[in-house]
Amino acid sequence: MRQTIARISLLLLLGLGVTVGHAAAQDLTDVAEIVRRANNASYYAGGDGRAQVRMTITDASDRSRVRQFTALRRNISEGGDQDYAVLFSRPADLRNTVFLVNKHVDGDDDRWLYLPSLDLVRRVAAGDKRTSFVGSHFLYEDVSGRRIADDRHELVETTDTHYVVKNTPFDPDGQEFESWTVWIEKATFLPTLMEYVDDAGEVYRRIEALEVQEIDGIPTVTRLRASDLRSGGNTLSEFTDIEYGLGIPADVFTERTLRSPPRRWFSSR
Amino acid sequence: MTRLAVWIAAVLFAATPAVAQDLGVDLHGFAEFATGARVRDDPLQEDDILLNEARFRLELEHFTDRAEFAFKSDFTADGLTEEVDVDVRQAVIVVRASDWLDVRAGRQVLTWGTGDLLFLNDLFPKDFVSFFIGREDEYLKAPANALRLTFYSSLVNLDLVATPVFEPDRSITGERLSFFDPGTGTLESATSSGGELTASRPARELGNGELAARLFRRVGGYELALYGYVGFTKQPSAFDPIADMPTHSPLNAYGASIRGAVAGGIAHVETALYDGDDDGGDDPNVANSQFRGLIGYERELAPDLTGGVQYYVERVLDHDQLLAASPNPLFEPSETRHLITTRVTYRLLQQTLTASLFAFASPNDEDMYLRPSLSYAWSDALTVAGGANVMMGGDATFFGQLERGSNVYLRARYSF
Repeated sequence: MRQTIARISLLLLLGLGVTVGHAAAQDLTDVAEIVRRANNASYYAGGDGRAQVRMTITDASDRSRVRQFTALRRNISEGGDQDYAVLFSRPADLRNTVFLVNKHVDGDDDRWLYLPSLDLVRRVAAGDKRTSFVGSHFLYEDVSGRRIADDRHELVETTDTHYVVKNTPFDPDGQEFESWTVWIEKATFLPTLMEYVDDAGEVYRRIEALEVQEIDGIPTVTRLRASDLRSGGNTLSEFTDIEYGLGIPADVFTERTLRSPPRRWFSSR
Repeated sequence: MTRLAVWIAAVLFAATPAVAQDLGVDLHGFAEFATGARVRDDPLQEDDILLNEARFRLELEHFTDRAEFAFKSDFTADGLTEEVDVDVRQAVIVVRASDWLDVRAGRQVLTWGTGDLLFLNDLFPKDFVSFFIGREDEYLKAPANALRLTFYSSLVNLDLVATPVFEPDRSITGERLSFFDPGTGTLESATSSGGELTASRPARELGNGELAARLFRRVGGYELALYGYVGFTKQPSAFDPIADMPTHSPLNAYGASIRGAVAGGIAHVETALYDGDDDGGDDPNVANSQFRGLIGYERELAPDLTGGVQYYVERVLDHDQLLAASPNPLFEPSETRHLITTRVTYRLLQQTLTASLFAFASPNDEDMYLRPSLSYAWSDALTVAGGANVMMGGDATFFGQLERGSNVYLRARYSF
């Protein structure tokens, strides 16, 4: 049976992750249903949204670097394709760089990067899912989403507050982990903790939601940390100026935005 | 000029932070020191140092909802020429004039096409000296004073770039790098030939500018484009017998490209026809027409390890006539130049260290060019980079003529 699960995705990572918490009177037992709700909540609420994101990357020797950007997201259909546009403001060598993703649920995403110093529009291959996103401890797959059908899902525990779901990839060669487990908060359907386990059964990577705020009535992750437990490095993502339901037009997510990002949509009111 | 430039730089440096803040202008830039030396002796050149410069970059930006002003200039104290150069790389006003029109007017860097360090339909100015002596990659592209109009529609988009005054490449003149002169059949330098190679430019009159167009749209995940260009050869490839100097001959170019995802990577195909000013191909002073073709593929081989490969072909049309009319048939380009490029880029240490090797090799002209580089981001502000440019081949070949300019370089950049 094909099962689905909520995944931490760009939405969540960018603080646009959303769920309308219908406080469930009764616990769900169907993992597919948990996953469907969490997926819709994490990915598709609000129709569209914007956030200012600040990633602080800290290495094992406590040196830190900062990535700062504005992220826009728009749903094409509920549960279907989506568009993302990211405009960087820090550091200096990434300033005015634009990252554009047309995410496809069936098939590879289309991704572009605009490098302003060369006036160069680069196409980014879809293959590099397990690569670090701009040097942070978040991966492209954390950002643009892991395909639901890539994993087998199993409800391993239901606590007072969380559903605990274990995910095992169908293709073990496609990624560096053996499995990953996610704690989905019952009240909000937000994933609040994810742990990645290697071949030896050790947890080597962790993503934690450190703070959830209600924005426009929508519970939203506003601080999220990814930790590499082997190296000791971590990246803290902080989301501010989060807004939903802006009515961002479709043409904001086209090549035009790469060369001349519309400031109207990228700057907070 | 030098003194003036220093004053301009000093005044801008001193005054801009305060003024910028008052005006709501973003102020950025960097300071960079770069040094490089040739690794082979060039008897035609006095200096073994190829690169010795301190560069200060100032960037100012101001945005409104519909318009943007951007200024970017380099002030470079060049230890070789002992001059201070001011190179305004950008002074542009960008206006989102309507739902369907973007206007970019002023000095700007322009790029299009699908090649990786190979250019077919991109006939915007390039700086090959910077490219070969180890300046940062962005300096391969030189700015031009141009008006760019981009029209958007649901059917197709159109880019029009008018450059009223022809802007040639910044090509190799014999200073720093020696080059092969097919006229004499020998290598020449600024020292050996008593001065830098100078070329005459088209007279500054209306009609002697450049017009470039690109018609583009996406079909599914594929990007399709048609290109056109009316202007002059970007390199001084023609010879003006009256002025007795190289010159730029009229050139029209037409081409097409497609780029899209294939098997987890990105594939691109591009063609161009360079329709030169030598219809029969029998004018020895004007380069013949050419067909250029490119096919390439890039994909990630492992996390943070990217590989790319390209095959490029340059075919001289009417080659028989070229040889028949040439005073030096031996030094004319081969009818078909095949070129293979490979790129390997590896990012380590949480992407703070980037190791890259780009290689060009022509199996039939037997010349090649290796571009290894290593770049380390010490912090968000400080980046250190080093690398080499290694050119090999016969004197009359494209890369071989630069063999004695092969070099190693080191750069440190502090950004703010």
